[in-house]
Amino acid sequence: MRHELSLRGEAFGLRPVADDDAGFIAGLRSDPELGRYLHATSARVEDQLAWLARYYERAGDYYFVIERLGSGEREGLISVYDIADGQAEWGRWLLRPGSLAAVESAALIYQCAFDVLGLDAVCCRTLAANERVVSFHDSCGVAERRLLPAYVSQRGQDWDAVEHRLTRAAWPPVDARLRQLARLTARRLQRGA
Amino acid sequence: MIETVLDALRVVLKTEVNADTSVHNTPQWDSLRHIEVIFAVEDATGVQFDEAELGELDSVARIVAAIQAKHAA
Repeated sequence: MRHELSLRGEAFGLRPVADDDAGFIAGLRSDPELGRYLHATSARVEDQLAWLARYYERAGDYYFVIERLGSGEREGLISVYDIADGQAEWGRWLLRPGSLAAVESAALIYQCAFDVLGLDAVCCRTLAANERVVSFHDSCGVAERRLLPAYVSQRGQDWDAVEHRLTRAAWPPVDARLRQLARLTARRLQRGA
Repeated sequence: MIETVLDALRVVLKTEVNADTSVHNTPQWDSLRHIEVIFAVEDATGVQFDEAELGELDSVARIVAAIQAKHAA
């Protein structure tokens, strides 16, 4: 949906996706390594623009560009969607290779879910084969997890997913861990600037 | 010096590592742990990596090569 939410962290921020980002989105989603665990997608900018046009009309769907504060350089994408009954899913999470925005973008999407949107719980579903991202959620301290067998069919094969779920009550220690690392990362990036 | 790097990785990743360890063969080396790995290696070796290097030090071999390049400079 069209929204005007922006969130600022220490080194990175979230801003609404716009049509000008279609080429960036197409580039990330068609990257062979990044796209390994995504639904097949078109690399054509026109197709991304058409997808964005439908997204703008969809309620309860907040799609963001992750950008570097100061330079505005685009680092990746993230979103929270399927909002219903005080719960939602977050995902469509892609970062350019070499980006250090993973920790802070996760902290900001949780802030968006709990502080801004006032949700009670948010989950993230990751293909089980995408072990590094599954590990990321574990490393954050999101302890509530379950296996979703044959969650999705892609490329003629059923794939299990792992769902990590974070409630508002369980959020503070996860937030503290992410913010501490985000602060250290920002300090490190500023030192090297 | 490689042992210093391996020790730092063992502490952060909490798994056995060796000279061939990389993000591609070690699922525990995720994006969050990567930040911790970089800080731990910098603390242990006294080296400060350039910002452009931070996201690219994705293997023991690359970390060791980067440290050696800084010492040689």
